[in-house]
Amino acid sequence: MTVWPEERLATVDSFNTVDMTINVGPQHPATHGVFRMVLTVDGELVVDCEPYIGYLHRGLEKLTENHDYRQSMGWWDRTDYLAGMACEFAYCMAVEKLGNIQVPERAEYIRVMMAELSRLLSHFMFFGAFGADVGSFGTSFVYAWRERERIYDFFEVVAGDRMFPTYFRPGGLQMDLPEGYEPLVRQLLGSLEQGLEDFDGLLTGNEIFVERCRNLSPMSKERAINLGMSGPMIRATGLAHDIRKAEPYSIYPNLKFNIPVGKNGDVFDRFMVRMAEAYQSIQIVKQCLDLMPGGLVLNPDLPKTLRIEEGECYVRTEGTKGEYGVYGMARGGNKPYRMKLRSPSFCNLSALKEMVVGHYVADAIIILGSLDIVLGEVDK
Amino acid sequence: MTSPTTDYPGVAALVHKHLGKIPFTASKHSTDAVIHIDAGHFLELVTGMHDRRELAFDYLRNVTGIDLGEEGLRCVYHFYSFKHGHAIQVDVQTPPDNPHIPTLTGIYAAADWHEREAAEMLGLVFDGHPNLKNLLLDEDVRIHPLLKAHPLQKMELEQGIEDTSAGFKF
Repeated sequence: MTVWPEERLATVDSFNTVDMTINVGPQHPATHGVFRMVLTVDGELVVDCEPYIGYLHRGLEKLTENHDYRQSMGWWDRTDYLAGMACEFAYCMAVEKLGNIQVPERAEYIRVMMAELSRLLSHFMFFGAFGADVGSFGTSFVYAWRERERIYDFFEVVAGDRMFPTYFRPGGLQMDLPEGYEPLVRQLLGSLEQGLEDFDGLLTGNEIFVERCRNLSPMSKERAINLGMSGPMIRATGLAHDIRKAEPYSIYPNLKFNIPVGKNGDVFDRFMVRMAEAYQSIQIVKQCLDLMPGGLVLNPDLPKTLRIEEGECYVRTEGTKGEYGVYGMARGGNKPYRMKLRSPSFCNLSALKEMVVGHYVADAIIILGSLDIVLGEVDK
Repeated sequence: MTSPTTDYPGVAALVHKHLGKIPFTASKHSTDAVIHIDAGHFLELVTGMHDRRELAFDYLRNVTGIDLGEEGLRCVYHFYSFKHGHAIQVDVQTPPDNPHIPTLTGIYAAADWHEREAAEMLGLVFDGHPNLKNLLLDEDVRIHPLLKAHPLQKMELEQGIEDTSAGFKF
């Protein structure tokens, strides 16, 4: 055992400690894409956090302004690239509002079904990546990829592409569902339900996981509203707000589902809200199958080139991460004058600094993971 | 889009009822009622909309900058009230040579990144914003890509569509 001389011990109190700067990202697995944050740490505690975004900025809005209404579909797929169809949904709704275009009922049901499957896909990826953040290493991630492949296989059957199907069209859909789709979906839902139960057992029932997440970075309703949060992040604080119910669109008023809420907005609540929401999405898809009417899937009266006179709209949808809004402005011609994306990840991420300051570095990674950001959507 | 009138549609009538002293016009489009106001009265209006219990617009959901050419830059705000469940759009039109708007960061924490994005993309200036540096673009580039004068790509420059306003040379 080392015995420290008295005079050396006396100097310990007057040690000068210096804050250290740690750069996390943009190429770092814990940042879920090309996100970079510069943490200033005092020992293990974060005292400051400066987020840097824009590494994936592709000029979505400029491109949309300069292309035909239908050409732009491909860009919007690539915003929230874990739920391409949900993004197409919002973009098409904006074009339809601007041009006053009607959509056949069957198309609406298929749209909602695909959007909810996208939500399931996105949430599964969250469970997997978040489990890895917390420390379950690869197991949860592999579970997530299994479910993701199943959903992508179905997307491929329907639209011919997996991640970026460009399946939606202003006025309906590219094509009808293939024959014999119904048993495929029901089988898929069965395996997804099993997948959710697997995650429940792997994460929700795991004491280490629960102890690391519970009471971490709690947030009040009022603060979450002021910070502009939406989606599961705001529902975790106990606010039962879902745009599918509050400002209903498409055929959501015909469907029965609940809004899961948390209690105190901590990291564990954010996880549990998404878990409960995934079960609700399965119920929604089942109802879509039961209620699916026949008929056309694309408005037959549309011209070859969409030309839209003056108009404005702000379409809000409940995207997988929160309020996915599209502000559109048309001033004649075959291109929009302005299309603005209000992306939920962007708004949720802007609160990061406030959420991580005062926590340990290892917890900062978990808090970032609990936001469930997709950088394609943050950077536009 | 209909032209602004003194007849206040939907939620705009409610705002006018409680904040009648502030001069603004209103219109309506396919999804929301719209308030048109100048930058000078904007902060007073938003403070009232946020603080009045009957209005309680506690949520800033979106900020959009638009380049309207000769009319100048416009900033479009979307507000929502969780308490009452109503939404409204507020258009702030700035004159062509003076794109200044007071910041909302003092009222809504959410305004921070939204305003930084509008500032870098269009050159709007939000007076009083604590940290108005580039967000999505590189820190030291001074271009405003969403201005209509900015070319989509280099090809357009070669075709003779020159951009003199932006200080970025390819």
